[in-house]
Amino acid sequence: MALGDEVLRMERVGKRYPMGDTVVDALVDASFVLSEGEAVAILGPSGSGKSTLMHLLGFLDSPSSGEILFEGRPVAALTERQRARVRAEKIGFVFQAFNLLPRLTVRANVALPLAYLGHPPPDAEARVDRALALVGMSNRAHHKPGELSGGQRQRVAIARALVNEPRILLADEPTGNLDTKTAAAILELFQELNRQGRTIVVVTHSPEIAGHFRRQLHVLDGRVAEKGAAS
Amino acid sequence: MRPLLSGLVNGFAEIWGHKLRSLLTISCVMLGVASLVVTTGFMEGFFDNWETSLQEQGGIEKISSLAQGVKERQAPFAAVSPGLTPADALALAALAPQIAVISPEIEASRPKLSRGARTYDRRRGARVQGVTNAIFEINRFEVASGRMFSDLDMHDHADVIIIGTRVRDALFAPGEEALGALIDVNDRPFRVIGVLRNYERFWGTYNTLDSKNEVAFVPLTTMAAKIQRSDRLSFLNMKAADVTRLRETVDTASNVLAQTHRGIIDFDVRTSEEQLASYASTKAGFVIGGGAIAGISLLVSGIGIMNLMLASINERVREIGIRKAIGATPLDIFSQFVAEAVTLSLLGGLVGVALAVVAIQGLAAVIPPGSAPVLAPSAFVVGFVFSVTSGVLAGIYPAAKAAKLDPIEALRYE
Repeated sequence: MALGDEVLRMERVGKRYPMGDTVVDALVDASFVLSEGEAVAILGPSGSGKSTLMHLLGFLDSPSSGEILFEGRPVAALTERQRARVRAEKIGFVFQAFNLLPRLTVRANVALPLAYLGHPPPDAEARVDRALALVGMSNRAHHKPGELSGGQRQRVAIARALVNEPRILLADEPTGNLDTKTAAAILELFQELNRQGRTIVVVTHSPEIAGHFRRQLHVLDGRVAEKGAAS
Repeated sequence: MRPLLSGLVNGFAEIWGHKLRSLLTISCVMLGVASLVVTTGFMEGFFDNWETSLQEQGGIEKISSLAQGVKERQAPFAAVSPGLTPADALALAALAPQIAVISPEIEASRPKLSRGARTYDRRRGARVQGVTNAIFEINRFEVASGRMFSDLDMHDHADVIIIGTRVRDALFAPGEEALGALIDVNDRPFRVIGVLRNYERFWGTYNTLDSKNEVAFVPLTTMAAKIQRSDRLSFLNMKAADVTRLRETVDTASNVLAQTHRGIIDFDVRTSEEQLASYASTKAGFVIGGGAIAGISLLVSGIGIMNLMLASINERVREIGIRKAIGATPLDIFSQFVAEAVTLSLLGGLVGVALAVVAIQGLAAVIPPGSAPVLAPSAFVVGFVFSVTSGVLAGIYPAAKAAKLDPIEALRYE
């Protein structure tokens, strides 16, 4: 499958945290490009800096040095409000702990990102239906998350991430809370979504899961390396 | 509008999710609003009543002159003054054009009103006054049936009488015609030529205007010649033609009276201004007091709401993180929590107003005198504004706190 345009570019991005008296370099000089239609695994042990990378990719955090460009525009130039809008329109998040709102129904959870668009789309209902159908959860639309299994919850979370038809789907250990069988099904769902042309980035500590993805970025001690690249 | 609406929906969901906690908070607002509305009701009732009675006494343009003791230095000469007499009324009419109406009045001391076996209960004390037709204008009386006094009545010292409804009810059987009948004043027969309108303003079962029904009027001349046997006036009431020149009118009247009384100041000329001033200052005091009570209730319910919101936000840090991650701006989060606070307080406000309505109706039935609260529309406005304001004010800080949460910290929060 031919890769499309550049979606996101990291230019020598670094992130430092003050921790007590010392300073921790969570990420050092990370540079890479994400293109349209890619399926990328970010692989690293816990504490390697992969979560930091994930937050930077989703504009939840700002780099201490270097530059992140989204669709060719520097993210640093955006206000917090504009960043939230970009997140709402172009980035879908999937979390390890699903992070559904327990008081809302499946349908309301999936519809939630639509409320944060500048203008709610006229086909909002249809979009929610499509997203639920895509993950095979149409028949559970009126259940509360508490009434669903882990795998089903993660499918709902993926539907929520897809409802705005984002340019990138960011998943942080999406199978971490699932048994092997369910995890395999979720991974299969990601691959199916990628075959449909969606750009997917999955953060994981498991080389086995990373093995399902065509491109792998290894993170270790804050340094990012392309798998197979000379390093 | 849309985020506000979804915020309200969210607010209801949160209230439902924490029933007991929400109930306690709503009670705070409810009690605050209810006590505020009832207090406002009491104040409205009280001042409404006072204002009406001020007006029924003749209003601001009324000037009263009545006899008073002379100063010590004039005491040896006091006898040179004829006192307040009908001649004063004539002099004022001729010399003080600022006075539009002059009403000389003689009040009978210990009058006995009777008709056959029926007697007016003296302990209730009907007032029998010798008057001219000016009394109807100045003290706002109206003859409901029959007629007022004629010039001939005045001239002839006619034995005619106009009675209030309480007097009629005491001396006549229900349905019995009073007009044309004879009643006795101190055992002298008078023909009833008029019956006054019935004056009512009820506070529960208590008619605060009843004293206007407990009167009987005879011609001034008749009173002087046949009942009181003296033309000393009890009151000389006047009505200023121009209220804006009240001071000047009072001065003129005083000068004329000083003249007719040969320099002896055995009279006092006063206006309702003092009463009005005391009305105004009392009202101002009540408004300040009421405002302080309102402020304290506002504070208390505000604290309740803020406490709940802070607790709720601490519990929902993760939710805030999720919402931010999927695209909520700080403003979205802020409006969500303010809307939730307003939902809480609005709910409390509505229940509070409902409670106040019940309380006011209950109190109005139990409290008889003119101190029962009334259901004032302003009270509803106050209650509504109050609850929304306390909701918004109490919601701002927690909402701002929520809006400022770092999404990464919030997502990490367990």
